[in-house]
Amino acid sequence: MKVDRRSFLAFILGGAAGTALSPLPWKITDDIAIWSQNWPWIPVPPKGEISQVSSACTLCPGGCGISVKKVDERVIKIEGLAGHPVNDGGLCPLGNSGTQLLYGPERIRTPLKKVNGRWQQISWQDAITELAAHLRQLRANGSAQAVGWLAGSDRGTVPELFNRFLTVYGSPNFWRTPSIWDSYELALYLTQGTRSRAGFDLENADFVLSFGSGLIEGWGSPGYMFRAKSMFRKAGGRMDQIEPRLSKTAAKSDHWISVNPGTEGALAYGLAHVIIKERLYNQDFVNAYSSGLPERYQQVIDGFPPEIVSKITGISAGTILTLARDFAAARKPLAICGQGQGHVPGSLQAFLAVHTLNALVGNINRPGGVWAVPEPDYIDWPELEIDAVAAEGLQKPRIDGAGTYRYPNARYLLHRLPEVINASAESPLKVLFVNDANPVYSLQDTAAVKKAFEKIPLVVSFSSYLDETSAQADMLLPNHMYLERYQDVPAAPGFPKPIISLSQPAVEPQYNTRHVGDVVIQLAKELGHTIGAAFAWDDYNSCLEETLGDRWDGLIEDGFWVNADYSGTQWADAFETDSARFEFTNKDIRTLAAYEPIKPEGDEAAYPLLLVPYDSMRLASGYVGSPPFMIKALEDTILKGNDVLVEINPDTARQLGLSEGRLANLATPRGSARVKVRLTQGIMPGLVALPRGLGYSGDNKFLDGKGVNYNRLSSPVDDPASGYNAAWGIRAKLS
Amino acid sequence: MTTEELANEASAKDQQPTTPPPEISPSTATDDNGSGGPIILFFILGLAASLIVGWVIFPQLLYSQKKQPVDFNHALHNELVEDSCESCHFFREDGSYSGVPKLAQCIECHEEVNGEDPEEAKFVNAYVANNREVPWLIYSRQPQNVFFSHAAHVKMAEMDCVTCHGHIGESESLKVYEENRISGYSRDIWGRNIAGIKRNSWDRMKMDDCAECHRNEGVNQNSVQTLRGGCFVCHH
Amino acid sequence: MKNGNFKKFGMVIDLDKCTGCGACMVACYAENNIPFREDDTDKMLSVSWMHVYRLNNGKPFPDYEECFLPRPCQHCEGHHGHSPCVSVCPATATDYNMATGIVSQIYPRCFGCRYCMGACPYHVRQFNWWDPIWPDGMEKMLNPNVSVRMRGVVEKCSFCVQRYQLAMDQAYMEGRQEIEEDDYQTACTETCPAGAITFGDLNNPEHAVHQLAQPDPAHEGRPKNPKAFRLLERLGTNPKIYYLSRREWVRRAGDNYLKGEFQNKAHS
Repeated sequence: MKVDRRSFLAFILGGAAGTALSPLPWKITDDIAIWSQNWPWIPVPPKGEISQVSSACTLCPGGCGISVKKVDERVIKIEGLAGHPVNDGGLCPLGNSGTQLLYGPERIRTPLKKVNGRWQQISWQDAITELAAHLRQLRANGSAQAVGWLAGSDRGTVPELFNRFLTVYGSPNFWRTPSIWDSYELALYLTQGTRSRAGFDLENADFVLSFGSGLIEGWGSPGYMFRAKSMFRKAGGRMDQIEPRLSKTAAKSDHWISVNPGTEGALAYGLAHVIIKERLYNQDFVNAYSSGLPERYQQVIDGFPPEIVSKITGISAGTILTLARDFAAARKPLAICGQGQGHVPGSLQAFLAVHTLNALVGNINRPGGVWAVPEPDYIDWPELEIDAVAAEGLQKPRIDGAGTYRYPNARYLLHRLPEVINASAESPLKVLFVNDANPVYSLQDTAAVKKAFEKIPLVVSFSSYLDETSAQADMLLPNHMYLERYQDVPAAPGFPKPIISLSQPAVEPQYNTRHVGDVVIQLAKELGHTIGAAFAWDDYNSCLEETLGDRWDGLIEDGFWVNADYSGTQWADAFETDSARFEFTNKDIRTLAAYEPIKPEGDEAAYPLLLVPYDSMRLASGYVGSPPFMIKALEDTILKGNDVLVEINPDTARQLGLSEGRLANLATPRGSARVKVRLTQGIMPGLVALPRGLGYSGDNKFLDGKGVNYNRLSSPVDDPASGYNAAWGIRAKLS
Repeated sequence: MTTEELANEASAKDQQPTTPPPEISPSTATDDNGSGGPIILFFILGLAASLIVGWVIFPQLLYSQKKQPVDFNHALHNELVEDSCESCHFFREDGSYSGVPKLAQCIECHEEVNGEDPEEAKFVNAYVANNREVPWLIYSRQPQNVFFSHAAHVKMAEMDCVTCHGHIGESESLKVYEENRISGYSRDIWGRNIAGIKRNSWDRMKMDDCAECHRNEGVNQNSVQTLRGGCFVCHH
Repeated sequence: MKNGNFKKFGMVIDLDKCTGCGACMVACYAENNIPFREDDTDKMLSVSWMHVYRLNNGKPFPDYEECFLPRPCQHCEGHHGHSPCVSVCPATATDYNMATGIVSQIYPRCFGCRYCMGACPYHVRQFNWWDPIWPDGMEKMLNPNVSVRMRGVVEKCSFCVQRYQLAMDQAYMEGRQEIEEDDYQTACTETCPAGAITFGDLNNPEHAVHQLAQPDPAHEGRPKNPKAFRLLERLGTNPKIYYLSRREWVRRAGDNYLKGEFQNKAHS
């Protein structure tokens, strides 16, 4: 039989008909449609049991309660813990992004040691043995004081373990990350005689006068401040913001009062002047519970009449008068200070001026006022046995000069450390431990900081990431992430009540990391003698459980402990000064250098503009940088591509011949950077504003290499009164 | 080819249709030199071949045969447990459905080998002893973009398991898992019948089957676009 | 579900409380498996269901003022559910549900023509120009109750409908047919540290959203609260997001008046 063309066609036709009558085409079409909806490269998250763990966030000092949502053993989301006294269910963008920090590929997965400039894996045991040998040698050489420890905070069991270690080892060189709380604590101590932290009963205030504080931009505990701000505003409270740039806080205020940068203290003295002069102050408080006001007035405040203050601050005398009268007339006025999120301690005299305002209106330890909240007292460990070597080391002055005749009132002067190290041929600091801090990024004049860190023979970082400081370190001993460990989180800054929250593990440690508390205990045991004896606990968790005692079970259950009834000590018992009163001045205050607006670095002729930093809730600028979600949520008015936008007033732009969106060179005495120009009416002419929290360097492609680090372009300025860093900006030019 | 040749060829083609087509009649169909018979024959041949391919060979090619890691005996377990299916396939307190049990659940009874079934021994030795989850192949697994609420069907609508899952609870052995090589899903979704014909409600688990029931029961017929059920009930 | 039981989920956002912090955006990313890219600064291409806009009063320094406006999908009801996007979708990939008032987006149906994006006056819809990629290990954080979308489809805010489904599951489990106000809250509402967002059933007079917005059923839900307004109300989109502000310029900006239009009337 011959197969000709026609039979072939018939065969095909038959085939086509048969195929159409068979399920083949229809089934294939359907299957392909399904296949195309489920590309194999699109991840499919496995389903499972949903559970939650009540814990506390430690990504900033804010102390918010979190509810960690899990599906089986995966953390899928972090939410605010409803009912937590600080944040009651709310959570900031950083807290919301915590999962990305847990699962981010850039985490350090194992202990590392730098050998000839390259990282090599090392076992935990070897790392601890090696460190112990090094520390033993230093002690044998009589240089115990050459060991330093830098921590994000000095409260809670973990920093106390560091402190305990240093003390029994023989070094006074403990640091915590600088902040406005340094100045606040000092102001409270000088006027009220108590070592306490400043708490603000913001939710009950009816007039909040903020001297540049970023109330809703991360000042204090953001979780509390956001919530409290909504509460007092809902109750009809007024909010005035004094700062040269329309920050988000200013945008949410009733009045944005633009002030010459760095002159906020003068304004506070000016307001006090009006209040005293017009006798608007709280007679009851001033007469019966305070001392030294006439003297303080005579010596300081009298020098700030409205006309003079107007010249300094650029605010009209009329505005000053009205503001002072309104403030004094409010039922529960509250003045707060500390720039932005409060990374720079600031001018002590300015803090005293603002605190004076609160005292004048009698709003100390009162509803809606500023409260001196006692430090949590649950850490009650056995007395230390100090051996001769340790005693000798502890006698030595601190390397940064804090507590010496030059800076008698300062406790930690971290910003001076680079200067001290760079000025000496050999670093007086031989070993530095760094935990929850990234000083090579966050201290001003990063070039100097980097140089200093290079001179320190051994830097040990407990960071989970290869950040700027870790990159400079010689050994990396990665701590568990906060979602993998226990840790007490005491005292949310600015929160008015005594509180302890508890971080507890939501998941098993993902990598070969170790709790920093365990590392300290093991290191101490390895060193033995009095040092080992001071750390009798088996491990950190047993130390924590023992320390928290009766509170442990409640903390595990609820995630926090709070003294909800605390409402500030009554005036009669509140002050532990010599006079047992609030002291507007005393022998310590009298000897402080007088108030003068802090001058930033730079020559006015060469650098006609002033560069000021600003903070945003959408940028993390603490010891961790912004996770990808935050960078994604960042406004395109802050970052465009890899270029950061600086804000300038259109008038300034016109003078400089710059236009919107143009690339420009921003130069300061410390360096220069490429920036993009953004014009806004929300900034005083003559200023350039740059956000904090950009310009990281490293290999995290979502964060690093974007924008400019403000700290690289600026420098610290000593406050003459306290020694703390008080730099609010630096002179700059834009071309 | 030159253009001339091309033109010739084109004209030759043009001429073809003018040739009258040979008449096809029953008498000529069997004619030796005619081609009618073979044409039908070829048509039938093609038809038959493609029908065989489509109905017999294609289904065999489409699905790969996979054996379950452990041959589980539902009937046996069903006799031993108190709460029928829900003893192992239970609802969690939050209303979510646990689905196929995790190892931890099985261990409650099978920490050690209890009986003499070699499959149980295999399960205990290979999975329990190593604390490894059993990679069960799930016949009813739906695509990631399908969200099915067991609570709505079992708790609210009070449907029984059999309506969708059939009598798997009475089976003594797990059938071979046939995986669609294109879509990656079990054959049970489309149904055993390659034509998609179903006799029982549990024969298929396609979206049309869901929709059919929803339509019949008048569930969530609140869509503005379709005036019927909304897609959002299952796809979000 | 019987016809009388229809809900109308909606949101009231208090712009006086909103601080522009962006927590709502991030909570939404985490809840809804929203992808992120190395450079997401081009906001026209970036997928973000919730976006916080910055408005200003247009005055020079120092009278300049700003306001932050979070913008989720407005879940327009239009006239009887014919919201702008629903009425143009050729694929029935977006739909209005009469029982919940939620405008849905069905990824498996969407073929990416982006007609809806053009129709939406609020820019709430975004197109997936790229396949989503999670850095190694980060796919662990994905929420199994939300589809992971692929390249080529449009997506938008769903009012966290998966939370509604989970709340209903819980209710069924407990033998209830109805959910309480607290049972179903969106991720952005829960996380807002300033408490600026309120979510609930606009049809239920006991719900906070109803009390805050005071929707007027006679005028397609127009708010009776003089502080409240809806975005581009005049277009007749009948959205379910209400905004509150005590500042008049903000209310006017929300209605997007042309210069000189309706000089003396905030609401026409």
